[in-house]
Amino acid sequence: MPRKRATKTRATIGLDLLNFFIAGEQTGFGPFVAVYLTARQWTQVEIGFALSLGTITAMVSQVPAGLLVDALRSKRVAVAAGILAVGISALLLAIWPALLPVLTSQVLHGFASCVLTPGIAAVSLELVGHATLGERIGRNARFAALGNGLSAGAMGLLGSYVSEQSVFLLTAALCVPALATLPFIDAKPPPPPRRAATRRARWSELVALLTDRRLLMFAACAALFQLADAAMLPIAAGELTKQKGTHAALVIAACILAPQAVVALLSPWVGRTAELRGRRPMMLLGWASLPLRGVLFALLPNPYLLVAVQSISGVGAAVFGVMLPVIADDVTRGARRFNLCIGIFSLAGTAGGALSTTLAGLLADLAGDRVAFLGLAAAGLAGTALVWLAMPETGSSEASE
Amino acid sequence: MTVFRISLIVPLLLLMAAAPEVPTRSTAPELPPTVELETFAPSEAMPVLGQRVAEPDGKAVARLVDVLVDPGGRPVAAVLDFGGFMGVGVRKIAVHWSTLRFEPGEGTHRIILTLTPDEIKAAPEYRDPEKPAPVVVPVAPEPKPGQQ
Repeated sequence: MPRKRATKTRATIGLDLLNFFIAGEQTGFGPFVAVYLTARQWTQVEIGFALSLGTITAMVSQVPAGLLVDALRSKRVAVAAGILAVGISALLLAIWPALLPVLTSQVLHGFASCVLTPGIAAVSLELVGHATLGERIGRNARFAALGNGLSAGAMGLLGSYVSEQSVFLLTAALCVPALATLPFIDAKPPPPPRRAATRRARWSELVALLTDRRLLMFAACAALFQLADAAMLPIAAGELTKQKGTHAALVIAACILAPQAVVALLSPWVGRTAELRGRRPMMLLGWASLPLRGVLFALLPNPYLLVAVQSISGVGAAVFGVMLPVIADDVTRGARRFNLCIGIFSLAGTAGGALSTTLAGLLADLAGDRVAFLGLAAAGLAGTALVWLAMPETGSSEASE
Repeated sequence: MTVFRISLIVPLLLLMAAAPEVPTRSTAPELPPTVELETFAPSEAMPVLGQRVAEPDGKAVARLVDVLVDPGGRPVAAVLDFGGFMGVGVRKIAVHWSTLRFEPGEGTHRIILTLTPDEIKAAPEYRDPEKPAPVVVPVAPEPKPGQQ
C-alpha cells in the first residue's frame, strides 16, 4: 500500500521536525533568561527569585504533567498546548519584562516543558509501537540536538549583535513551524488500554508501579547522573571566562555545540544498540562517561582541551536522553502509566541537577574548582556502580541475550 | 486541561496589555512644601544597573549588576558580570568604584572599566552577597601598575 507508506514517511519526517523545532524553542530559556533580565535592569535578587520559581515549577509539575498526558486521549493536543505555552512565555519575556509577566512566563514555561517531554515520547510511541521505540527515540534525540545546536548558534549571534530581546522573539517564532509539523504526525490511535476495572484494582496497579524495583533503580540512577553532570559545564565555563576573559565566549559556545554534534551522531546508534543488546551496556557506557569527564576536567586546565573533554558529555547526554523514555516504556508496558513514569524519572533527574549546582558551588567555594570536579566525578562513579550492581536489564528477554 | 488553562490566560494577558499604563504622577502640581523638584539632564545623571561596561578602547566586556554602598550610602564597589555564552560561564567580580569612569551622555551612557585584562583575570569571584566581598582596589597613588 504505497499510500500508507507515504503517510508513514510523512509522519516520520514530521516527528523529526517536531523534535528539531521544540528543542530550538527551548534553547533560549535556562541561564540566558538571567542575562536578558540583567540587561533589562532587573536586580540580582529579583532574577534569582524568578529563576527559582521556574525551577520549582518544573520540579513540582513533572509528575502531575505526566499524569495529565496519560489522561489525555490525544497526545498531540498535549504537545500542541505545550508548544503554544512555551511560545507565549517567550513572547511575554520579550515584550513585557515586568515582574508579573516574567513570573507568569517562568511558571508557564516550567509546566509546559514537563508536558512536552512525555508528550513527544508518547506521540513517538503511538507512531512506532514498542518494538522500535528505542530507534525512534534515538532519532528524536538526533533532531533535538540539531535543533538545539543550530538555535544556540543563531541565538548567540542574535544576543550579541542584535539584542537580547530578539532571542525570545525568535523563540516565540519557532512555535509556528513546531505546531505546523503536528498535522503530519498522523499516528493511529493506540488500542484501548487494558484498564483495571475497579478503583481498588487501579490503585493497586499504581502501587505496583511505584514500588517496581526497575522504576526505583532507574530513578536513582537518573538522579545520580544529573547530580554528576549538571554542574560540570557551568564550572568549567566559569573557569574559562576567568582564564580567557572576553575571548571565552567562543570557546564556551564550542563547549555547548560540540556535545550536541556528538548527541546527533550517537543517539540513533544508542537507540538501536539498546534494542539489540539490551539497556544495561548502553547505560554503563553513558554513566561511566561522567567520572571520566570529571577527572579529566580536574586534571586538564587547558581551555582548548576543555572543549574536547566537554564533548564527552555528548555520550552521556545521548544515552540519558534515549534510555529515559525507553526504560519508562519497559517498566510500564501494558499499563497506562508511560507518561507518569517519564515524569517520575524527570523529577529524579531535575532534583539531582538542582542539587548538583548547589553542592558543586559549595565545594568550589571551600576547596576550589578541581575538588568540585572530583566531587562530581565521585557522584558519577556512584551512579555507574549503581547501574553495574543494581540496575536490572529491562529490555525484552531476546534483547538481553 | 492545559488547553483550557491557556485559553483562559491568553485573553487575560491581552486584556492586561491593552489596559492603559498607570499614569505617572503629573509633574508640576501640588508638591508638598517640604520637597522641591530638580531635573537632571541625561548628561548629569545616568542609570547604571544593567548597563554595559566597556574597556577603554570601547569594547563592551561586562554588565554592571549591583552596587555596594557604605553606611553613608556612597558607592564603594560595583559588581560586574563578565562574559559567558548564552548565560553559561558568567563570572562576577567586584571592583572598586574608582576603577570605573562614567560618561553620561544623550542617548549613549558609557561606563569605562580602567582595570587591565590581567587585573580583571586575577580578581576573585564575587559569589555571595552575605559574605565579605572581595573588591579589587587599585594600589594607592597610581592606579596603573599591574599585579598586586
